Amino acid sequence: MDTCIQKIRELAADLLERGEVEKVIGFAQGTIPMATSPISVGTKQGVDNLVFNSTCGLNLANFASRQKGKIAIIAKGCDCRNIVTHIVENQLQRDQVYIIGVPCNGMVNKFKIAALFEDEITGFAEDGDTLTVSSSSQTKTLKKQEYLRENCLLCTHKNPVLYDVLAGDLVKEQVLENAFPDVDKIEAMDVDGRWQYFKRLTQNCIRCYACRNACPICYCPTCFVDEAGPQWVGKGQNKTDVDTFHFLRAFHCAGRCTDCGACVEACPMGINVRDFTRKLNKDALELFGWEAGLDISKRPPLDAYSPQDPDDFIK
Amino acid sequence: MKFITIDKKDWTKGIDNSRKTYQLFGPVKDENGCKIIKLDTNVLPDMDYHESVLSAKSVLFPQTETILTTSLNESVEDHHIMKRAKNDYTPRAVLGIRPYDAKAIGLVKLNFDTKEYREPYWCDAYEATTFVGLGITRPGPFDFSTSVGCGPFCEEGLDILLADLDDKFLAKVLTPKGEAYAAACGFDTPADDKESQALFDILRKEAEKNIATSVDTGNLKEKNLLDLHEAPFWDDVAFACINCGTCTYVCPTCWCFDIQDEAKLKESARFRNWDTCMSPLFTRHATGHNPRGAKVQRVRQRFMHKLKYFLDKYDQGIMCVGCGRCVKSCPVNIDIRKVAHTMNTYEKKD
Amino acid sequence: MGNLLEHMGVERDRVHFSWISSAEATKFVDVVKEISEKVRALGPNKKFVKDYN
Repeated sequence: MDTCIQKIRELAADLLERGEVEKVIGFAQGTIPMATSPISVGTKQGVDNLVFNSTCGLNLANFASRQKGKIAIIAKGCDCRNIVTHIVENQLQRDQVYIIGVPCNGMVNKFKIAALFEDEITGFAEDGDTLTVSSSSQTKTLKKQEYLRENCLLCTHKNPVLYDVLAGDLVKEQVLENAFPDVDKIEAMDVDGRWQYFKRLTQNCIRCYACRNACPICYCPTCFVDEAGPQWVGKGQNKTDVDTFHFLRAFHCAGRCTDCGACVEACPMGINVRDFTRKLNKDALELFGWEAGLDISKRPPLDAYSPQDPDDFIK
Repeated sequence: MKFITIDKKDWTKGIDNSRKTYQLFGPVKDENGCKIIKLDTNVLPDMDYHESVLSAKSVLFPQTETILTTSLNESVEDHHIMKRAKNDYTPRAVLGIRPYDAKAIGLVKLNFDTKEYREPYWCDAYEATTFVGLGITRPGPFDFSTSVGCGPFCEEGLDILLADLDDKFLAKVLTPKGEAYAAACGFDTPADDKESQALFDILRKEAEKNIATSVDTGNLKEKNLLDLHEAPFWDDVAFACINCGTCTYVCPTCWCFDIQDEAKLKESARFRNWDTCMSPLFTRHATGHNPRGAKVQRVRQRFMHKLKYFLDKYDQGIMCVGCGRCVKSCPVNIDIRKVAHTMNTYEKKD
Repeated sequence: MGNLLEHMGVERDRVHFSWISSAEATKFVDVVKEISEKVRALGPNKKFVKDYN
């Protein structure tokens, strides 16, 4: 990925210079190790601020929508799938966005890396598949492959599905024997075991809604938890209210989630929010043969009716 | 003010002694990180933690707190009359908090305990609490407390300040509340005042040397408020923001809250919950009008409140203690140090 | 939705879906009977019930 940033900057500079787009949306280097920040670049000089590395874990699709004028966006596999979803859901017109696709080798799991150190991480560098991470007391060399985010480990769409130009060579897609080992693990528990699992999962949720706000498909003008007249969900730390938020948010993502992992990336408490949406992704695949965001000509399964839709749950 | 030594072998016993008369709060680690919570009787505070994701503000200001209750049963006397909830304000001690969290409580106090109004829930909890701090010998990379009038061994707001000396704690007992708590633990081995103070000074200087970042806020006071408000840089600051509430919830000095009424069957209660200026709902009027309807207005509000309005209103420095939690937890890495610098160096162009 | 609730540990038999025309009175009775029996067998629900205070 180190080489693709040069290409990204060249492409961005060229697009801005030619006036093809007004802004390029990408990532800028953060002020602390393992952090990047979405940025909008409007001038040719600004393109040097663009970076692309294994810590660009957020999803930029939401930053592309509701922009004035034509924009370019730097999009890895999952970002592209969410741009497709935005186009299908009329949040974005295809001709409004110029997609600089970046074949992706996965993003690193910041919590997993942080857990290796007793103290805070002060340095992070990557060279191909090798990560060098340091704190004030020690430096570790890690293999990137072993510290990928869980969604990246299970990703089968590393390459952009929709793009105007590619900033790097396509990478080999992995074929998984089982795409949902994490869901299977939960499904294997008994009913109370599952209840306890989810109870523990959300016990530290502070309802900051970072998961929702980082989510590229959570773009409702007013989220159901923010409905105030009348109010739909209690707003306190009551466990049932917290779980209602997670459950309903997940359900609203049914058949739309691309498992980009932005929710987990954003959560300050390190909650694996994906445990909710993953089950729905599995169902979407098994019941409808559907993976979100692969084709701009197809409506998501819960958005369309087909006589073949499974209906055995209806008496 | 006096110094005492606490052998770590006596620590657990002393803490357990104090449980007879105090409810204890302290840092506890679980799979999601470290936070400062009420300790069950078999749980000891984790005195080796590096930083907690959430601050100690919840000890006095829980994320959800019942403040008033009433009965809706019309056969009961005083039905539908809201009365103060029976919360527990017996003595409590919070152990091992960071000096910046204690300083933050002092800043929050400026808001909750003013000449005109005394906010009873927070103030009663405050008065019931003894703050036992732990000096930071190895400050993290996000700590910029020294440049905002705090520091790794700052005593402000603390009743006892501990220094970790491997096999023992050296305690600087700062207030009568602190003395009472030490007595409740049975910690009474005196240490030489002069030597101990010298040791604290050395530790403080060593720790301060390790604070790698700073922020300059010296010009903020004389900056024109409206100039800053109208400054062109806010769009850039706000671009990346996803408007979650992480920064405000992890912040030890953010005190904003929302009031909610809930009822079940014949019982009703009024709660207060943490709220966040990042949320559009925070300022939306009943009419539907929202004076801070755009993201950029909300982001500006957070920084202007912390770094300008608060400074102008109370003249007690900025509303930030330099703990760096928001810098670390922000999903899009909006860095208050950078924003403070931008504001501090901003010159309006005519 | 039933699947996700079940996944989260809510018993499958607590959630039922049906489509009954206003002309299908007997089907309505049958479905309600079946639901009542299944839910009764599970006993009182304690999940997703808001505890107050």
